Amino acid sequence: MIPILEIRNVSKFFGGLSANSDVSFQMEEGMIMGLIGPNGAGKTTLFNCITGYYPPSRGEILFKYERVNGMTPDQVCKRGMVRTWQKVRPLAKLTVLDNVVVGALVRTNSVHEAREIAREQLHVVKLTHRSDFLAGGLPIGERKKLEVARVLATKPALLLLDEVMGGLNPAESDEIIQLILDIKKSGLTQMVIEHDMKAIMRISDRIVVLNSGEKLAEGSPQEIVSNPEVITAYLGEDHV
Amino acid sequence: MTIFLQSLLSGVLIGGVYALIGVGLTIIFGVMRIINFAHGELVMLGMYAAYFLFTLGHVDPFVSIVFVFPLLFLFGAVLQKTVINRVLNALPQNQILLTIGIGLILSNTMMLLFTSDYRIISTSYSSASFQVGQISVSAPLLVSFVITAAVTAVLYWFLLKTDTGQAIRATAQDRDAAQLMGVNVRRMSVLATGLGAGLAAVAGALISPTYYIFPQVGQPFTLKAFVIVVLGGMGSVMGATVGGVLIGATESLAGAYISSGLKDLVVYVLFLLILLFKPAGLFGKSRV
Amino acid sequence: MSPSPSPRRLAALPLLLGIGAVALLAVLPKFVESPYALHLMILFFLAVIMGEAWNLIGGYGGQYSVGHAAYFGIGAYTVVILLQTKGVAPWWGLLPALALAVVVAAIVGSITFRLRGPYFVLASIAVAEIFRLAALNWKTLTNGAEGILLSDVPPLVVGGTVVTNFVSKVPYYYMGLALSVIVILVTIWFQASKVGYYLQAIREDQDAANSLGIPLTLYKNVALMISAFFTAWAGALYALYVGFIDPATAGGLDISVQIVLTAIIGGIGTILGPVVGAALLVALSEALRSNMLTDLLVGIGLVDGSSAVGRFLRDNLSHAHMLIYGILVALVILFMPDGVLGAIKNWTRKRQAKVAAGGPA
Repeated sequence: MIPILEIRNVSKFFGGLSANSDVSFQMEEGMIMGLIGPNGAGKTTLFNCITGYYPPSRGEILFKYERVNGMTPDQVCKRGMVRTWQKVRPLAKLTVLDNVVVGALVRTNSVHEAREIAREQLHVVKLTHRSDFLAGGLPIGERKKLEVARVLATKPALLLLDEVMGGLNPAESDEIIQLILDIKKSGLTQMVIEHDMKAIMRISDRIVVLNSGEKLAEGSPQEIVSNPEVITAYLGEDHV
Repeated sequence: MTIFLQSLLSGVLIGGVYALIGVGLTIIFGVMRIINFAHGELVMLGMYAAYFLFTLGHVDPFVSIVFVFPLLFLFGAVLQKTVINRVLNALPQNQILLTIGIGLILSNTMMLLFTSDYRIISTSYSSASFQVGQISVSAPLLVSFVITAAVTAVLYWFLLKTDTGQAIRATAQDRDAAQLMGVNVRRMSVLATGLGAGLAAVAGALISPTYYIFPQVGQPFTLKAFVIVVLGGMGSVMGATVGGVLIGATESLAGAYISSGLKDLVVYVLFLLILLFKPAGLFGKSRV
Repeated sequence: MSPSPSPRRLAALPLLLGIGAVALLAVLPKFVESPYALHLMILFFLAVIMGEAWNLIGGYGGQYSVGHAAYFGIGAYTVVILLQTKGVAPWWGLLPALALAVVVAAIVGSITFRLRGPYFVLASIAVAEIFRLAALNWKTLTNGAEGILLSDVPPLVVGGTVVTNFVSKVPYYYMGLALSVIVILVTIWFQASKVGYYLQAIREDQDAANSLGIPLTLYKNVALMISAFFTAWAGALYALYVGFIDPATAGGLDISVQIVLTAIIGGIGTILGPVVGAALLVALSEALRSNMLTDLLVGIGLVDGSSAVGRFLRDNLSHAHMLIYGILVALVILFMPDGVLGAIKNWTRKRQAKVAAGGPA
């Protein structure tokens, strides 16, 4: 299987603080990788490095065998990697449809075509009824779905979801989980940061655990759940 | 060589006053994250205050800072409370537009009230100078530099040693954390604006014996103050102090070696270069 | 939360109204001969052109340039200098003027667009100041502070017939009208195009936009170059019409502030906001200049014409342009940041929400 993403010895320092420390792992095409760890473990930092928000201080990131560390976020997106944000970032004064159109425009110069793609994706996340509403006025659950639709419209090969279930009620979370599984069926690879352990267990093929910037463990969900170090570091909290 | 030393010296002397203007601006930015584009007009108000105190009250400009500081401190505080406070959460571009508007209001009101006529303060020492070797030192510039140094020293003491000063610094560093620690951040904003305005006005009073005074005189000071603050690092008092002297020296040398008409241009080009290559400035850490 | 109609497609009614308005304006000079009225309309058109041009980068892009005077000045000076020193007719001189403005915009953008929000504003002001100082000091080229007085504009001869001698105001009126229509059409195309979508995404959230594949500086530059193109054209038109150009008028902060004010008072990021702003500002400007305001205040009895206040107003209000502009900027930012059109939009949206919720219409 193709290692679609390779993280090799990635470290990220902010002054004296090491937010990521020598993190390495691989992802295969079509899998869902769960990325978990206590708050401040460096999960979002890793996402930021992968997508070019800032470059890693050390190490390499290879996407489909191409070195992407050091590229800008738009270059990374064009190559097929895109992310959602822990704190949602809707384009507030644009309509829901226009938000997704912006995403679609990375693959086409035709606004007309982009609208078609956008309508498809809104259908996938079940937000069609909100197409003409201003994104800024949506409740949190719908904003999260909008963000997913927007990144799907960029036709990515690898989707990075940062706590996409954060702040959602159980019904909304279930919708997202189903969405993630549907996305997997269409062949996309996904890396999911999540605190919701039940969800992570349900969707992940493999899990990487970060703690204090370092990779603590990697394995199947069963291996992770029964790993004593992980339990000590993380599963002691009542996140179910 | 004499030309070099001469212009370097006058540049450093005037740079001290520039530093005062820059420090005022950086304190306002540090505490409220607002870019005060009316800052030059506050300098201008200080100049006019000194002028009227001199012509009507026979108060020496250097002595007048005792009156000018509290007067403009109050003005700045009122400005913050009534107007600036309303835009603390607005888009940064809107904030700067507002201060641009305030600057226009101030300079044009002064023009309406006092016409654009150039005014000058002629004291007995206005053109006095003495010789140090080959170099001629302007007496008023030297005195203003000494006073600036004293004022800066008092300011540093205030910021480092007093509770209020430390509260201001805490607010500048992290507004939310300061609030959690019990600092009244609203009050800090008012104080910071008053302080910034007072310092700018003092600078104006200090240079009033050697500058033409007219309503539009503030504009170049505003831009220069920004160059100083960006060079030193937004929010860094130390940076503004150093930056002020550096810009004063640069401007003076440019005036001597290139042309006096173009010295401002040199400073603005320098500004763009700093923004290009080192936007955080010498001592700053903010993401520009 | 209420549904909003898509802002992109041009509905039938506004289109018809627009065509009607343009047709009316096109025949206006046949019925209105007053040079004063034509003068006001020309000022209005110039303000529309500059406001709409700024709106592209400022309103849709969220990059508030307070230094657009630089492009205005480049347009004005290039055309005038070529005409006066080399005898180049202005319609030919316009080409290098526009090209220069676009190139300068690209350079300025590449340097300054990596700066966020207020830093970009500062940089834009610094750039305009650099140009003003350059114009002031490069006396051999620009005549410095004295400025350049235009001798006659050569007649426009097309295919052997003299189209106009540029003696009356009418040709300037039509040039102003034509360019205004062009800029508005460009804006309509722009905001529905890929560039427009990307610009607005950048305005809303630069980092999110970046992560969606948008190269930031590239698109900001495109918008700025289009903006500079039309601003320079307005500058050239202004210089020809007024017949005089100097660094203060062409490059000062005053012009930059007026341009920004035109757009924000009407409603930034809307197609017709700058038109509303232009109308308001030109009207206000004239009211000030002609003492209409003072007369009004006296007329309604608010001010006694012979009192000190009355005389003061009469002597000074006409020069109080920039003071009023400063007050307006402050008022708009404080109380109406979305401008007149924006305020109307918000109000209708609130009403729609009320109606949808079952409240009184």
